[in-house]
Amino acid sequence: MSMRKFFLFVGMALFMSCKMAFAQQAGGNLVYIVQPEPPSLAPYLSTSGPIGLVAPKIYQGLLDYDLELNIVPELAESYEISDDGLTVTFNLQKGVTWHDGEPFTSADVQFTIMDVLKQFHPRGPNSFKEVKEIQTPDEHTAIFKLERPAPYMMRAFAGYESPIVPKHLLEGKDIREAELGNNPVGTGPFKFVEWKKGQYIRLEKNENYWKEGLPYLDRVVARVIPDASTRTAAMENGEVMYGAFGAIPNVDVVRMREMDDIGTTTDGYSMINPMALLEFDTTEPPFDNPAVRNAISLTLDRQFFIDNIWFGYGKKATSALSSNYEPTGLYKPSANYPEKPDVAAAIKLLDDAGISADADGVRVKATLDLIPYGEEWRRAGEYIKQAVAEIGIELDLRYEDVPTWIKRVYGDYDYAMNLNYFYQLPDPVIGVHRHYGTDQIRAGTPFVNSTRYSDAELDELLVQGATSADPEARVGIYHKIQDKLSTDQPVVNLFELEFITVFNSKLKNHDFSAMGSYSSFDKTWLEK
Amino acid sequence: MSFWQLYRRNKSAVFGLIILCLVFIMAMFAGIVFEDDPFTLAGKPMSAPGTNGFLLGSDTLGRDVAAGIAYGARTSLLIAGLATAVAVFVGAVLGGLAGYYGGWVDDILMRVTEMFQTIPSFVFAILLVAIMKPSIQSIIIAIAVVSWPAVARLVRGEFISLRNREFIQACHTVGMSDIRIMVKEILPNCLSPIIVAGSLMVATAILIESGLSFLGLGDPNIISWGFQIGAGRTVLRSAWWVCTFPGVAILLTVLAINLVGEGLNDALNPRLRTRT
Repeated sequence: MSMRKFFLFVGMALFMSCKMAFAQQAGGNLVYIVQPEPPSLAPYLSTSGPIGLVAPKIYQGLLDYDLELNIVPELAESYEISDDGLTVTFNLQKGVTWHDGEPFTSADVQFTIMDVLKQFHPRGPNSFKEVKEIQTPDEHTAIFKLERPAPYMMRAFAGYESPIVPKHLLEGKDIREAELGNNPVGTGPFKFVEWKKGQYIRLEKNENYWKEGLPYLDRVVARVIPDASTRTAAMENGEVMYGAFGAIPNVDVVRMREMDDIGTTTDGYSMINPMALLEFDTTEPPFDNPAVRNAISLTLDRQFFIDNIWFGYGKKATSALSSNYEPTGLYKPSANYPEKPDVAAAIKLLDDAGISADADGVRVKATLDLIPYGEEWRRAGEYIKQAVAEIGIELDLRYEDVPTWIKRVYGDYDYAMNLNYFYQLPDPVIGVHRHYGTDQIRAGTPFVNSTRYSDAELDELLVQGATSADPEARVGIYHKIQDKLSTDQPVVNLFELEFITVFNSKLKNHDFSAMGSYSSFDKTWLEK
Repeated sequence: MSFWQLYRRNKSAVFGLIILCLVFIMAMFAGIVFEDDPFTLAGKPMSAPGTNGFLLGSDTLGRDVAAGIAYGARTSLLIAGLATAVAVFVGAVLGGLAGYYGGWVDDILMRVTEMFQTIPSFVFAILLVAIMKPSIQSIIIAIAVVSWPAVARLVRGEFISLRNREFIQACHTVGMSDIRIMVKEILPNCLSPIIVAGSLMVATAILIESGLSFLGLGDPNIISWGFQIGAGRTVLRSAWWVCTFPGVAILLTVLAINLVGEGLNDALNPRLRTRT
């Protein structure tokens, strides 16, 4: 059995840190925005965004990912995958301790994956589906034994996605109710100190952090500021220095990016991959006919959303997969995603399918449900309504509260067409399969296959994509999947959302990882 | 003096009536002046007033602000008119019954009215629209529900003061039915305060509707002034015209209705007939 080793990035990381060592300054407090307030600090139970903004400073994962999505070591100093893809061996860092002083060992890894993430985490059961056993021959080696190869699993080891938690504080307890949920104890660069509900969460530097000389910051404070214009003002006057995930509205970003002491970036979201899209009820007329769905895809001007509603942030969708998958080779631009809207082609498509217009020029009437996440989505719905009216599709808009909308679309399937966005996440198996597979028609579970599209050929391709260990073979499989999906279009993808991080220019090296604001901040520093 | 002569003495009331008539004309002829639906993406987004063929500019999606104001006048007047009609009818019936019969009928009806009055009306309207899904019907219902208690109390007071007058007792003596006395004898005598209250209620209804639309609780398929302001408030610093013109429309209309209401009050109130 030959082994492949991945030490290159250890070397690169060392090189980079030597080169930058002169400029970095230790000390200082970082106050940043967390919005809304996290429901808990238990990242092993919930993937909720606000938890991700705080918990990864406390808990770490086995691996991390750089901005190009390359794997970099974290709690595992290296790993090996056997040729058959069925054994993954992690060599863990030595001399790592939990914040309470207990040593971190392979038993923690085994317990975290098998007893916590596989059982209680929202995406864990999927990410670690193939893991049947974790062997711990010594304190610093964890060997994952898999049922079938699971290449996508290697994308799920970041501190936000799969935080390693202390076995000695959770074992034998009710995991959901354990005290650890509100008093986190991790291995990360910052220790939890205080949570003033409704105001802030305060973390202090971990003096015994296992990475020599890190972290640079003395203190990290996550502040809760519910009002958007107050957040903008706090950023403008330097009260807070960092805000991610749209904490500052796009319209203010456009103004603030001209300021000298404020910077903006769209880095740090490539692991999230949000995609705006239209879902259709494919089981009933009028959207059971792929011609209608394709006609809509041909008619919409995707650039319009970006230019006029999201103030220039975003990227046109060109396939069922996000173009952020390009480095992996999986992404392929597909048919029915035209560069410019093609109304003539759309009308021809409808005519050929025998969907003719009545006296008023109306071919199809339906209701479009709008994701109730704010003004932009309403504007997008208003645009869609106007655009598809050109090809004789008359839409009524419906805007409800979040629970009613989720129940309508993902529980009762009482909808025809729905505007929404999905996280595609770092691998299609984790983020995209849930939208199309027949096994993902799960009434009552939000954000899975609500279109009830079911196709045996696609299901087979999805299984192949999930279990193939060979990256080359996966490229071919996913190209076929995208061809299939762009022909059938159970979901019409609109554009890749770009979240914007706004920061004070004194703050340096804040988005060094693909996890962006969900990263540890251990190499982040403040200029005095 | 005729009603018009009485009304005419109040110059600002005449001014209000003129503006109100202009708003009505605008609503009636919106479809002729602006042939396209107000949601149509008519041209370049965020055009300043007077450029690219937009008299009052265009909004973030390129919709004509002027067309929105013209069509929005329909929505505002329709919603405010219907909601007021419902509120006045319900308020007059309940207030009339309570005032005429007194006793336990009065007790029950007034406790119910008070229950409605203890909840701040705008918050209550938000709650009602959020429970029913946002649509033009639910907005009319919500405005009517929060508006009728005031009418009920007013009508009740008038009925109490009139029910023991001699002419009413004379009606009882000749054997007129209760319904007939209420509708034919008492109601016409307290019509003027109801008309004045109703006219002012139209102005409040326009404001409530605009507030609901501003908060995103309007009917997403129907344009209104509040909707235009809500849609434009994010770009207030870069495209002031999107919010400003609908705001001016609301201001003028509400002001006009208030002036008309005051003029009606002056003209219909016998005690004020000599006011100069």
